[in-house]
Amino acid sequence: MSSGAAVSPAQPRGAEAARRRLSLTQYAGFLPALVLYGAFFAVPLGLIVAYSFWKVVDYNVVHQWTFGNYRYFFSVSTYVTTTWATAWVAALSTALTIAIAFPFAYWLARYVPKRMQRVLLVLVILPFWTSYLLRVYSWLNILGEKGAVNRFLGWAHVTDHPVSFFLYDRPAVVLVLVYLYFPFAALTLYASLERFDWDQFKAAMDLGATPAKAMRKILLPQIKPGITTAVIFVFIPILGEYLAPQLVGGAKGVMIGNLIANFFVGGQYTRGAAAALLIAALIVVLLVIFRRSLEVEDAYGA
Amino acid sequence: MAREAEIVSPRAGLVRWLLGGWALLVYLFLFAPIALLVAFSFNANRYGTFPFTGWTGKWYGQVFGDYQIRDALTTTLRVAVTVTIVSTIVGTAAAFPLVRSRLPFRTGIRVGMTLPIMIPGLLIGVSLLVFFTNVLHEQLSPTTAAIGQSVYTTPFVLLLVAARLQGFDISLERAAADLGANTLRRLRHVVLPLIMPAVFAGALFAFTLSLDEFIITFFLIGGHNTLPIYIYTQVKFGITPEVNALASLLLAASLVLIGLAFVLPLAYRRVRQAVVLRRASV
Repeated sequence: MSSGAAVSPAQPRGAEAARRRLSLTQYAGFLPALVLYGAFFAVPLGLIVAYSFWKVVDYNVVHQWTFGNYRYFFSVSTYVTTTWATAWVAALSTALTIAIAFPFAYWLARYVPKRMQRVLLVLVILPFWTSYLLRVYSWLNILGEKGAVNRFLGWAHVTDHPVSFFLYDRPAVVLVLVYLYFPFAALTLYASLERFDWDQFKAAMDLGATPAKAMRKILLPQIKPGITTAVIFVFIPILGEYLAPQLVGGAKGVMIGNLIANFFVGGQYTRGAAAALLIAALIVVLLVIFRRSLEVEDAYGA
Repeated sequence: MAREAEIVSPRAGLVRWLLGGWALLVYLFLFAPIALLVAFSFNANRYGTFPFTGWTGKWYGQVFGDYQIRDALTTTLRVAVTVTIVSTIVGTAAAFPLVRSRLPFRTGIRVGMTLPIMIPGLLIGVSLLVFFTNVLHEQLSPTTAAIGQSVYTTPFVLLLVAARLQGFDISLERAAADLGANTLRRLRHVVLPLIMPAVFAGALFAFTLSLDEFIITFFLIGGHNTLPIYIYTQVKFGITPEVNALASLLLAASLVLIGLAFVLPLAYRRVRQAVVLRRASV
């Protein structure tokens, strides 16, 4: 009891001091992250930047600045065409993913009872949390000469001889990429559609707008950040895809990620670094341009 | 709301059905490959594909009997436990200042801290490969793979815990401070119980992500195998029913863990409420 009496007069000041201490200890929370991100994320990425400008003499990396690695990359025509193809595949896959995800998210946010929405949404993001490798791998069972589609066609006597049902080519890569990144797009689009007030839509139509016009003038401007986030979050990881082109793309489906991986696996660190930096630079530019409209939390359902 | 929409436009009913059909196709697209994979793992056909020649569980028996797979499983679990511990501690600790302090460039820091999940894992993998081998002169091992994975999994924990802290009434903590509780006691009795569900969910997510991680591990594991790496090396020689069986097991494990991550926080809250109510009634 006596201790309680001793504390009470000092309480306001004690609480104030505690609050100040609280804010100091709060900064301390960054410390472990600073070590992990600093030593094992920022420094290695910085190292890649440096490597891309360093020379190799007699199989040793020497700290002499050069543009040689970049010049080499752009001097090999297959590398250049692969880079363009990567941009193309990424753009096409992103567009298709959004085109498939938007009507779905729209349906989910507008026509499904609130209670069911959560369950149906979890069903969509569930595949995202399963193995990325296995989601690519599962398509090997379906595509290809011995895949499910071909076997089915043969069984139904649609074709006599197995058509190489676009395995080991770009269309297969695009298909699998859409499959892989659909959950991202659906989640992000849903998150912004869910916040939309549908009464505004109704009001617009009461005032004589056609549904198409109401969508263009009322809905789209409000969910634009969501669409931007979806585009960025699908496009960026595709730029660095390795596995999908490797497993279902074959020789014709090679993307820049495969080039980078091959450089590093082959020990050509400086050349690999230059190629890696090309996508890293593109990603940074995209993130800086769109930083204001990115809704990171939406994309991960946090 | 839906009914009102129908009144507004006579075609809304049709649109609604079309969109519903589209959604059905989407679910089919999402789950058919996985369902086929699991179905083939029970198919007696030696080539792991059509036609179905009868149901069997023998591929699963072969999976459990394979010493390479047992080795890969041990490595996978060792890495996953390390990654879970590291990223749960680092992510939870960082969530506090991120949400609560008045930092300059807060959006910038937020985006920066989630950068490891936004940039392709390939970049994390190759940059750490150079760092470990050429700068630290470290032998590649499950430990280096675990460090690389932690860089990638920590932001997930961070996002989850930060979201929970955002909805957290800070006056609860002030009240505890006014009642004389020091930082440690406030943390233990007020803050941790409230954010525990998110921390726990974060840990489960980190574990699952580690279990399935491929690209970072691919560059950093050296001569060892995790299960995804093992599957990858097998797939290069073609599909076998054993790989289908192993893949199905890994899928099931991920689904169970993620299911737990979604369900357990709710259950935890309910149990805590019950405990608090009982204490109050005593």
